[in-house]
Amino acid sequence: MLTPRFPIRAKLIASFSVVIIVGVFISTMIGINLIGSTIIKQAQEKVRLDLNSAREVYLGESEIIRTKVRLTAERFFIKEAVAINDTERLRRELRAIREEEGLDILTLTDNQGRIMVRAHNPEVYGDRPIDHVIDHVLTSGESVVATVIVSEDELAKIGDDYLKRARITLIPTPKSRPLNITEERQGMFIKAGAPVFDYAGKLIGVLYGGNMLNRNYGIVDKVKNTVYLGEMYKDRDIGTATIFLDDARISTNVLNIDGERAIGTRVSEEVYEQVVVDGEPWVGRAFVVNAWYMTAYEPIRNIDGKIIGMLYVGMLEAPYIDLRNKVVVTFWGIAIISVLLLSVIAYYTTSNIVRPVKALARATEKVAHGDMSQRVDINTHDEIGFLGESFNQMTVALQEATDGYQSLTRTLEQKVAEKTKELQAAQDFLIQSEKMASLGKLAAGVAHEINNPLTSILINSHLILEKFKGDATLKDNLKLIIDETTRCSSIVNGLLEFARQTPPEKTVVDINRIIESTLIIMETQALVHKVRIKKDLAGDLPQIQIDVNKIKQVFTNLILNALDAMSDGGTLTILSRLSSGGDCVEVKFHDTGKGIPKDNISKIFDPFFSTKGTKGTGLGLSISYGIIQQHNGKIDVQSEVGKGTTITVCLPLFEFKKDKKEENSG
Amino acid sequence: MGEKFRILVVDDELPVCKSIASALVGDEYAVDSALSGEEALELQEKKHYDAIIADLMMPGISGLELLKKVRENRPDTMMIMITGYPSIRTAVEAIRIGAFDYLPKPFTPNDLRSIVSRALTRKRVVEQKLEQARVLEDLPVPEGLYTIPNNSWAKVEDDGTVLVGIHHMLLVTIKKIATIEYPKLNETRYQGEACVRIVESEERMHKLWTPVTGKIMAINERVKDDYAKLYRDPYITGWLVQIAPTNLDNDIKNLALT
Repeated sequence: MLTPRFPIRAKLIASFSVVIIVGVFISTMIGINLIGSTIIKQAQEKVRLDLNSAREVYLGESEIIRTKVRLTAERFFIKEAVAINDTERLRRELRAIREEEGLDILTLTDNQGRIMVRAHNPEVYGDRPIDHVIDHVLTSGESVVATVIVSEDELAKIGDDYLKRARITLIPTPKSRPLNITEERQGMFIKAGAPVFDYAGKLIGVLYGGNMLNRNYGIVDKVKNTVYLGEMYKDRDIGTATIFLDDARISTNVLNIDGERAIGTRVSEEVYEQVVVDGEPWVGRAFVVNAWYMTAYEPIRNIDGKIIGMLYVGMLEAPYIDLRNKVVVTFWGIAIISVLLLSVIAYYTTSNIVRPVKALARATEKVAHGDMSQRVDINTHDEIGFLGESFNQMTVALQEATDGYQSLTRTLEQKVAEKTKELQAAQDFLIQSEKMASLGKLAAGVAHEINNPLTSILINSHLILEKFKGDATLKDNLKLIIDETTRCSSIVNGLLEFARQTPPEKTVVDINRIIESTLIIMETQALVHKVRIKKDLAGDLPQIQIDVNKIKQVFTNLILNALDAMSDGGTLTILSRLSSGGDCVEVKFHDTGKGIPKDNISKIFDPFFSTKGTKGTGLGLSISYGIIQQHNGKIDVQSEVGKGTTITVCLPLFEFKKDKKEENSG
Repeated sequence: MGEKFRILVVDDELPVCKSIASALVGDEYAVDSALSGEEALELQEKKHYDAIIADLMMPGISGLELLKKVRENRPDTMMIMITGYPSIRTAVEAIRIGAFDYLPKPFTPNDLRSIVSRALTRKRVVEQKLEQARVLEDLPVPEGLYTIPNNSWAKVEDDGTVLVGIHHMLLVTIKKIATIEYPKLNETRYQGEACVRIVESEERMHKLWTPVTGKIMAINERVKDDYAKLYRDPYITGWLVQIAPTNLDNDIKNLALT
């Protein structure tokens, strides 16, 4: 049997697998989408809120500085020291406060804004810095806090260490805006200022203080620790915060590749444009230093409202991406397991389908090669089971049909044999008829030829007789000649009559009566031949239409032949009965004589064929044959040498029946 | 005796010619022989024959052709046809053409002399227009009869039987009927066979050919005792035998219908 190119099992597994894979693919897409649209969105929202918290921290820090500066400005020692211009005391006291409060700068001016005491650098004083915080306090008489940019010159006045601390090397960052400078030298400060009044309430000076944000990580780490509780993910801080001066990171807890704070790296131009230039907050996904973050930026403004930097918070995207990836991996894992599981299940299920189908295919192939006995044994109680049942029914039907054909063929063969026999008989009949026709011509010729010499003989012997006057014995001889000549003439006329085959005169008679009346004449003959005649005549035979004289002639002929065949005596049985077909009356003449050799059987109806030598003319059976033929009957011979001969004459019951048949067949 | 009757015998077989001649030769007849139709025609041109006895089947000019020619040239010559192959069809055909009668071979000298004498009687009757003959000759043959011309007639009755009688032209040639020999009842007679013999004398007996094959059913008793009645009406009341035909339809095809 052929192995199929695409087995059912493979097809089933393939199609199911495709369904699973497509399903999982769709689920994955939906899952990713869901994560994107809900979890990540929520994270984004959280970052936006975290920025608010960060701002609160930033403002809180600013407020603490302002409070520190204001409370210090209200201290009595400042009022007294300023009133008496005790610089020494101011320096001493302010230095102590600066250290105690942890401020980078703490400076006192007079009511004109001229520097009286720089706590962190007492040597430099008397200058009037251009400072909007001082100006604001002097004009409003109230405390204030703000983020300010401090130039390099000013920083120098604060101190070299600050100058140094503020200096930040700018690191070239991809996607950042192009910049000419390579170093940030300005400082960014949260600066608070408060008025100093004397006891009379007269403004006598301004105290201001603050912290530089460059490389100051207090705020950003506080944001990280309060908002994100310092959570880590794979050795990285999940939450990050940054303070930008312009677009450069001056305070951050975003780490670079080396694990150091990424000071000096810059924000992308896109963010810069939106936040610094346009003053709009930025919320979204951004690549920060070396990883993707969900970020929020907002501008930091100075006291005049000018944007000088940015505050940033960002949440590491990796956990979410990993979560998403985990979902994808989980889904695909489920898919693969499902496919494997399905393959195993399908393998066993299809085995149940494939096995009977294979059995059916094998059986069908055998049926195709003619083996109709094939049956399949399938008890699956499903469609395949029905198929098996139908197959069995089909083979049974096929077998029956085949048997039918075979028996039909056998019947056909029988019929062919019968027809052949009939045809043979018809042919024999035809040959006999032709013989008769030839005999007719022969007889006519003979009659003509013989009658001429007979005429001469007859006339001349008569003429001699007329004039004969001699010996009476000679006269008798002459009369014998005349008689014999006359007999010759009658033989010839008989021959002619036979050849002419006058039509039979038919009357309806009982055949048994004809047999009986023929036997009356023949009984003496039989006695002479020492032959016993046995009759077996059927009592209820239908009457038939025959030429009585001619049939009598036939019977006489047959009986005489039988007697001749039993020269040493024997039994002649005459039997009459209805034929097995019921369409004719049969008369059998069975003798126990010497029989006819096989070679002679076909000749016995031939004219002039005789085994009796000079005793017979050889016309008896020939004439009989002709008569039976005229009756549309049959004459049949069966003989065995030494045992005897049976001649069967068959005379049809209804002649019209035969005529009808001929019409139909014609 | 006066002049002899001149007779020509025509047969392609010399022994037959000789035998016939021998049977006829004597005071009454002068017999010539011819071995073929051609020879016979030549002879009858030169000599006037009273009767010609001719075989029907001959090579060259056949008996029928000879008959036709002689009928044209010498209508008064009586033609007697003989045949070794008797067939009523050819016989009827011959008689219709004008033959006096036909005689199947073999025959005896008496058969021959009877028919020849009848032929010559007939010739004389025609020539001399005998009173008796005229009466008979003028007798019309009733319509609807089947005949073997100059010999016999057959009438098909309503019941399907056939009445058979003597043709008046045969009767004309018979001077006096001595006796009539009938067939036995229930005997079968075939067409063309002798049915009834009309005996004039020991030497002269005339055969009435059976017109249709059949079984003899009856003999006309009325005629049996008084042959004179036959001369008064050879037809209808003068029937001789009644036959139950067995092959009527075929048989009447061979006959002439009046």
